Amino acid sequence: MPAAESLVWVAAVTAVIWAGVFSYCLALDRRVRRLEDGE
Amino acid sequence: MNRRTVRNWALGLWMLIVIWAAFFYAPAAQGFKGESARIVFFHVPQAWVAVLAFCVNLIASLRYMRTRDPLDDARAATAARLGLIFSILATVTGSLFARVMWGSFWNWDPREVSIAILLLVYAAYFALREAIPDDERRASLSASYAVLAFVTMPFLIFVVPRIYWSLHPDTIINTRGSLDMESRMFQTLMGSLAGFTWLFFWLYSLDVRLARVKIARQAREGE
Amino acid sequence: MRRSSLASETAAVLAKELRSELRSRVALNAVGLFALTTLIAVAYQIGPYRIHEQDRPHLLAALLWIILFFAALSGLARVFVKEEDAHTAKTLRLAARPLAVFGGKLLFNLLLLLALECCIVPLYLALMGYAVIGVWGLVAVLVTGSLALATTSTLVAAIISRASGSGTLFAVLTVPIALPLLVVLIQGTRAAAASAAFAAVLPALQAIVSLAGVQLVASLYLFPVVWHE
Repeated sequence: MPAAESLVWVAAVTAVIWAGVFSYCLALDRRVRRLEDGE
Repeated sequence: MNRRTVRNWALGLWMLIVIWAAFFYAPAAQGFKGESARIVFFHVPQAWVAVLAFCVNLIASLRYMRTRDPLDDARAATAARLGLIFSILATVTGSLFARVMWGSFWNWDPREVSIAILLLVYAAYFALREAIPDDERRASLSASYAVLAFVTMPFLIFVVPRIYWSLHPDTIINTRGSLDMESRMFQTLMGSLAGFTWLFFWLYSLDVRLARVKIARQAREGE
Repeated sequence: MRRSSLASETAAVLAKELRSELRSRVALNAVGLFALTTLIAVAYQIGPYRIHEQDRPHLLAALLWIILFFAALSGLARVFVKEEDAHTAKTLRLAARPLAVFGGKLLFNLLLLLALECCIVPLYLALMGYAVIGVWGLVAVLVTGSLALATTSTLVAAIISRASGSGTLFAVLTVPIALPLLVVLIQGTRAAAASAAFAAVLPALQAIVSLAGVQLVASLYLFPVVWHE
């Protein structure tokens, strides 16, 4: 089984997925903070 | 840069480290097909968070029944929403792992079944909530259902496998059960567990803060 | 101020349920016909001879409980849904204390299940050629299983009757909670069918009884909340 290259690829995809999830969480955090400060 | 921002970016970095560790730091597991075992570093924490969310939901539901505070209901609903997401993730990653390891997506392993039933419980919880337009009634009825589901769970997780195993000794042994792991794998797993738990609490607190704002706004508009 | 005891109020609720049911027979018909139809369909298509010898223990136990469970799903929610539909629920809240209402309706559902099993199980054994060695073990599993199933169903029925009252919602809510019970019931039935020794069914019976016990205790706390919502 070609270990090295495909592993890097899968790791990269996972990292990208996490980047997406993380940015969504950051955006949500910003939104909540704005709403709270607006109160 | 305030404390919260630093904390959030710390989580972002932490998970990147976990991803690196899962693929490059931890060795390939013995007796597993190639590198497939690495999915365990993500699958186990997801299942753990699904159960954790269930516990948080229980506590919030019990609190609601005592306090009748809409914020407690929001807490329960948030926990359930996150629990649903993570149990779907856990089921999917578990399925993928099963496919690589044993050739089929589903094997009726007791733990697989437990996670799937947890998923069904979450889905039922939301189906119930959807069916009730009145806020207070929705809160207390879904809280009651959550408590009932929770007291039933230990049976699924502990009692059924004991009976199940005694009649089906040829069922596939769940290799996740054995914890004699190599130390680097253990470190990675713990790191991933911590990261996912951290992520859960971050999302949970965000949602609860959002609910608090909404409730405050509704209260003001009501005046 | 209540002069009647919990037991007598429970008995009164049960008596009312039985009376109204014997008059109209709606639940009996629904549950009985459902079970009978399913049984006949299964027996006709599968029958005693079309299952391989090694599969028989698994399949016969599982099919029996599928029939019983789905029949239960079709009829056990009625005890509360009909109160909401007929708008008699409010009167009932005033007339009896919550636990008496729960107790009476639980006992009614239990009797309904037991009556169903008295008819269906012998028929099933005969039509499917299911040779059961431990008959008393099977009876024990059926009785305790009915109690557990009735407890779960009655509480969920109370919950959904305060929601939309639809049968689908009842099924959706009951299935995840009843699945562990079903698994144990099927295992217990298999054990009873295979051996007359009490030790064979004991693990299953312990699981069923403790599950029923836990849910009963939970219902004592949860039902008043649901009922007064």
